[in-house]
Amino acid sequence: MKMENLKKVTSMQNFSSFVILLIMLVITTVLQDNFFTLGSFISNVNAFAPLILLSIGQSIVMISGAIDLSNGAMLSLMTCILASTMQADNPLSGVKALLIALAAALVCGLLNGFAVGFMKEPPVIVTFATSYMFLGAGLFILPRPGGNCANWVLGFYNMSLVENAPGWLIGLTRYVPPVFLVILLVVGVAMVMRRTRFMRYLYATGSNEASAYATGINTAKIRIIAYLINAVCVFLTAVYLVAQNRSGDYQLGDAYTLRTIAAAVIGGVSMSGGRGDVFSAIIGALISSLVNKIIFFANLPTAYQTLISGLIVIAALGVSFLYSYLDERKKIKELRGKAEVQNE
Amino acid sequence: MSKESVKKFLRSQKRVLAVIVLIVVLSLFGEIFVGNFISVKQAFLTVKFATFVALFGLCQMVVVSSGRNAIDLSVGYVATFSAILGCHFMQGSNRGLLFSILLAVLAGAGLGLVNGLLISYVNLSPLVVTMSVSTIIQGIINVYASGMSLDGSPAPVLTTLVTGTIKGTFPNIIFLLLFVMVIVHFLTKRVKFGQLVCGIGENSEAAYLSGVNVKLTRCITFVISGIIAGLIGLILAGNMGMAYKDMGSTYVMPSYAAIVVGGISLGGGEMDYVRVVLGAIFLQVLTNLFILFGGGDAVKWFGYGAVLYVLLLFYANERKRN
Repeated sequence: MKMENLKKVTSMQNFSSFVILLIMLVITTVLQDNFFTLGSFISNVNAFAPLILLSIGQSIVMISGAIDLSNGAMLSLMTCILASTMQADNPLSGVKALLIALAAALVCGLLNGFAVGFMKEPPVIVTFATSYMFLGAGLFILPRPGGNCANWVLGFYNMSLVENAPGWLIGLTRYVPPVFLVILLVVGVAMVMRRTRFMRYLYATGSNEASAYATGINTAKIRIIAYLINAVCVFLTAVYLVAQNRSGDYQLGDAYTLRTIAAAVIGGVSMSGGRGDVFSAIIGALISSLVNKIIFFANLPTAYQTLISGLIVIAALGVSFLYSYLDERKKIKELRGKAEVQNE
Repeated sequence: MSKESVKKFLRSQKRVLAVIVLIVVLSLFGEIFVGNFISVKQAFLTVKFATFVALFGLCQMVVVSSGRNAIDLSVGYVATFSAILGCHFMQGSNRGLLFSILLAVLAGAGLGLVNGLLISYVNLSPLVVTMSVSTIIQGIINVYASGMSLDGSPAPVLTTLVTGTIKGTFPNIIFLLLFVMVIVHFLTKRVKFGQLVCGIGENSEAAYLSGVNVKLTRCITFVISGIIAGLIGLILAGNMGMAYKDMGSTYVMPSYAAIVVGGISLGGGEMDYVRVVLGAIFLQVLTNLFILFGGGDAVKWFGYGAVLYVLLLFYANERKRN
C-alpha cells in the first residue's frame, strides 16, 4: 500500500521541482539565521512577488505552445501609464489609472494574441516586435522615471500607508502582505479554472496544435485568451510595482523578461507546450529568487549570479528531461508487460 | 534573353524582389517625409551598419535551416567572448591576429558544440538552451571582468577592414560582406553539407530514412553558428576599437528579424543568404528612417516595432494564401 502511495506522490507533475525548492529553502535557512521570522517572510514575499506573478502569466502562454518576450516591456508600459495618470491625493485618479492601464494591457495582449493565434506568426519574432512598440509607448508616456501613486493604491504594497484604512485591514496586512493575497487570489482562480474546458483546450493546443484544431478546438481563440491572461498578470504586477516604488519607469521590466522564461522552465513548464501548470511557475520563480538570495548570503560576488542562474536553468532542463525519459521508459515497460500477459 | 526566360527568372526570384521592393518603398518614404534620405553615401553607410546584423543573420540562417524551429540566441555573447579574448591577445598589434582568429574559432566551436549537444542529442528546446548558454557566457564574462578590466585592442588590420574606407566613401567592410555572400552561396549550393542541412530542415524523417545522421548534422549547424559568431566577435572588436561586456547582445534579435524579413522559412529547409542580407538592410533602412525622422527614441522604437509587426502580418497573409 505504501509503495503505491509513494509512487503516486513521486509521479505528481511538480514533484521534482518541489524537491529542488525544498533543498533551496534548506540551504537558505542554513545561510540566513532569521529566515523563518515574520519580518523576513514579509520582505521575501514583497521581493519575490513580481517574478511570481509574471511567471504565472508567462507559464499560461508557454502551456499554449507560445512564448512572450514582451512581458517586460509591457510591464514598463503599464507602470508608465499608471504613474502618469495617478495623482497622490486624488482617489478617483487611481480608479481612472487602473481602468486605463487594464484596458491598455488587454490591447497589448490582443496584439500579441492576434498575431500568434490568428495569423499564426512565430511568437518569438511577434513578441520581439511588440516589445519595441510597448517600449516606445512607455517612453513616450513617461519620458523620465517618475509619476505618482494614488494614496489608496499604495495599499497594494503597504496598507499602513493608506489614509483612512480600516484597522482590521492594517492589522491583517501586518502579518500577510497585500501582494500575497493577490497571488493567493490568482492561484485560487487558476485552481478553479483547472477543471474548465478552457484549461483542457489550452493543454491540447499546446501539446499539438494541429490535432487540437482537427478535433474542433478554436486554437486561435485559446491562444488569444492565453495572451490576455498573461496581460492581466502583467497588469497586476505593474500595479504592485507602482505601489511599491510610487513611480513608473519605461526600463523597469527589461530585466524580468528572460527571468520569467527561466522561472517557468525551472519549474517544469515545457517550452513546446502542453506541460506544467501555474504551480510550476510559482515553484520555478521561488527557486530562481532563492538562488539569488543564496548567492548573496554565501558572500559570492554578484558577478556569479548570472552564471549560476544560467547553469540552474540547464540543470533544471536536464532534470525534467531525465524525469520524462524515465517516465517514458517506465510506460514502455508497462506496455510490454501487458502485451506479454496478453500473449500468454 | 527572350521575354519568357526573363519572366521565369523574375518569378523564381520573387522573394528576393519582394524584399528589394520593401527596401525601395521604405527609402522613398524616407525621401518624401524626411528628405536627404536617398544618396550614394547614405546607401554605403546603411549597408555598412547592416553588415553586422547580416553576419549574425548568417548564424541564424544556418541554425534555422536545419529545422525544428531552431534559433541561436547565444551568438551575441559568443561574439563578445571572442572579442574580449581577441583584444587581450592582440594588444593592438597584428602579431596576435592569427592566434586570436584561432581562439575565436575554437571558442565559438566549443560553445556551439554545447548548444548542439544539448539541443540535438538531449532534445532540449533551442530557445531555452541557447538563452541559458548565453546567460552562462555572460556570467563567465562578468566574473572575469569583475576581477580585472577588459584590456587590449584589436589588430590594425581588423580596424582597417571594418572601419576603413576606399577614397573616403566606399566602406571596406562591404567587401567582407560580398566575400561572405559568395562563399555562402558556394557552400550552400555546391557543397553537399549545405544541401544536407536543407534536406533535414525540409523533411527530417525522409532524410533519416535516406541514411543521413540527422542529429549529428543538427549539432554541426550549431557548431558552425558558434564559429561564425566567434569570428564576428573579432570584427566587432575591430569596429569598436576595444571589447566591452554588451558588445554583441544588441545584434541577437535583429539577426533573427533579418531572416524573418528575408522570408526564410522558420521551420527550416531554406538557405538563401541574399535574402537575409536584404532583410538586414531593410531593418537598417527602417532604423535610419526613424532616427532621421527626429521623433526621438520613443518614436524610433515604436515605429520599428510597429513596422515589423505589420510586415509580419503581411507575410503571414501571403503564406495563408499559398
